[in-house]
Amino acid sequence: MEVPAQTAEIFEILSKGQFICSNSTDSNIRKLYSIMEEDQNFDNLCDCFKSINFILEKGEEYFYFSRTELKVSLERKIEVAFRWIDIMDFLKTYDNSFSSGYRFSPSDILVRIKTDAELETKLEGLKRHTGKERYPDIIDRILQMLENDSYIELENQISHTYKVLASFKYLEQLILTINIPEDLRNEIPE
Amino acid sequence: MNTFSNIKELISTLYREQRLLTEMFKKRKFLSYKYDFALDLVDNDDNRVQYLIERSVIRSNGNFLEIDDQFQQFFEQVLEVNEEINISYINENIESVRQNILYYFNEPNETRKYNYLRLIKNTFRKIGIITLRNVVDLKRNIETTFKNEPNYKIKKVKLENLDKKRVDISLLIEQTDKLISEDEETFFKSALDEELNRVITQLKLQLAKCTHNLIDIEKQIIDFLNQIKYQSNITEKLRQIKYLKDQFILQTNTDIDAVLSGNNAAIFEPRPLYPLKLSLDYLQTDAEAFDSIKKIARRIQTGIGTKRPLADIISDEYLETQVEEDVQINLEEVKNSFLAAGNNLFEFVLNYPFAEEVSFDRRVTIYCQLVSQYEALFEITDHYMQREEIEFAMVYPK
Repeated sequence: MEVPAQTAEIFEILSKGQFICSNSTDSNIRKLYSIMEEDQNFDNLCDCFKSINFILEKGEEYFYFSRTELKVSLERKIEVAFRWIDIMDFLKTYDNSFSSGYRFSPSDILVRIKTDAELETKLEGLKRHTGKERYPDIIDRILQMLENDSYIELENQISHTYKVLASFKYLEQLILTINIPEDLRNEIPE
Repeated sequence: MNTFSNIKELISTLYREQRLLTEMFKKRKFLSYKYDFALDLVDNDDNRVQYLIERSVIRSNGNFLEIDDQFQQFFEQVLEVNEEINISYINENIESVRQNILYYFNEPNETRKYNYLRLIKNTFRKIGIITLRNVVDLKRNIETTFKNEPNYKIKKVKLENLDKKRVDISLLIEQTDKLISEDEETFFKSALDEELNRVITQLKLQLAKCTHNLIDIEKQIIDFLNQIKYQSNITEKLRQIKYLKDQFILQTNTDIDAVLSGNNAAIFEPRPLYPLKLSLDYLQTDAEAFDSIKKIARRIQTGIGTKRPLADIISDEYLETQVEEDVQINLEEVKNSFLAAGNNLFEFVLNYPFAEEVSFDRRVTIYCQLVSQYEALFEITDHYMQREEIEFAMVYPK
């Protein structure tokens, strides 16, 4: 079985719980993506990682790792998922079209907060995930968290512009897979 | 209301007020062109503005002015900047073609017949151009709406309406096609006119192009609508889930536990650390590693100087020089003398006049030292002699 020369690099990224996205701003990551995308390579990598208990998963324009068995407790997963729900809710309130390929800068969000009370309340709600008091600090912390998990990337250092990566779709898919019973859905106010 | 009496008057008026009209046309989107601004552009001559208003070139609306719709549409169409997609033109034109064909057949006078034919050709040319323009406008409108409309609901409705227009245009294309190839076959067969044939061919080409474009537009609209649906689905779902979460009933009322239990993605795990030990070999041999060690050693210096215990002063007694003498035998010198003398070595050493008194044992030692050190210069024989219970080999210089 022949695995690509970049296998170690791929493992390094994915085992940290990060994604490899097709629309990354880093040309190296894009290269890794195109290597993994080839059927032969993908199959070989799958087999290779399977032998060390990782499952290589393919999403829409992104790759990530999952495991064959449970490694973390359900509580931790719930905690992480709740944090994502809050953050996503905030970002989607900022802009409905906040999704893969979207570009923004922290200052845009700050400007909006001044005129959008709903957004401000939601940002206040994010305090508990960040432990910060000042709005710019909270936003910075959130963006840093998203960046660490490779959902967004700093695209332009000078204008401080971020780009949302394809991996953001993973979060969207996760939200879509949660099933709300019909009768309960009717009780939720518009 | 006055009207222009002839085309010359119209054109000269438009020419005279070109500055004002250009400016107003540029700002037609804002719908708030002030009367005062207009005055500035006509040298503060109120009569000139009134003249335009009287002839319905511009309309006044309280304190504001706007170009009359008729003129605005004319400008937009001629300059190809209109945004509205108006399919009624095509419809009208198709009707007019039908009527003119009817007149053509019923007209016995050749000259007037020819006039009808000319009208028909003109209309066909127009149909082609208008349809193509409409298709281009439609495509641009769809893209602008998708990219620029911030409100999801409006965006969706707008796109759906544009989709309806697309259907209408393709219906009209079909009608035109039918008109040319089926309905009025007699006319096209009987009116043998080279130019008409050319116009028709041109029109057919244009319509084919439009049809292809429309198919592509349809694909695009479907794609856009799907994207919108996907996005609004997510937004909606997210809002509901957030609501339930804030009510603390998300876990009890939905299957989030099951979903997450089944999801073993590495993303949920805390960032792993691999505390591997450094290779000792590497630490001991690599220069770079040594540099790092020094760097870290400097960094972790605590700044607290450990107090070293002070020793007592060394007494002068220890510092006094004491002389101890020892006799050193210069083996080199002994060897040189021996090589010159030529006696057997043992005898020679025994009788050698050293500066100090040297014991027999010491002399034996010197013998041994000489033999071992200068073996190459001596000839060691197999003859042995004995003296004072010591057996020794006879050694001569070479």
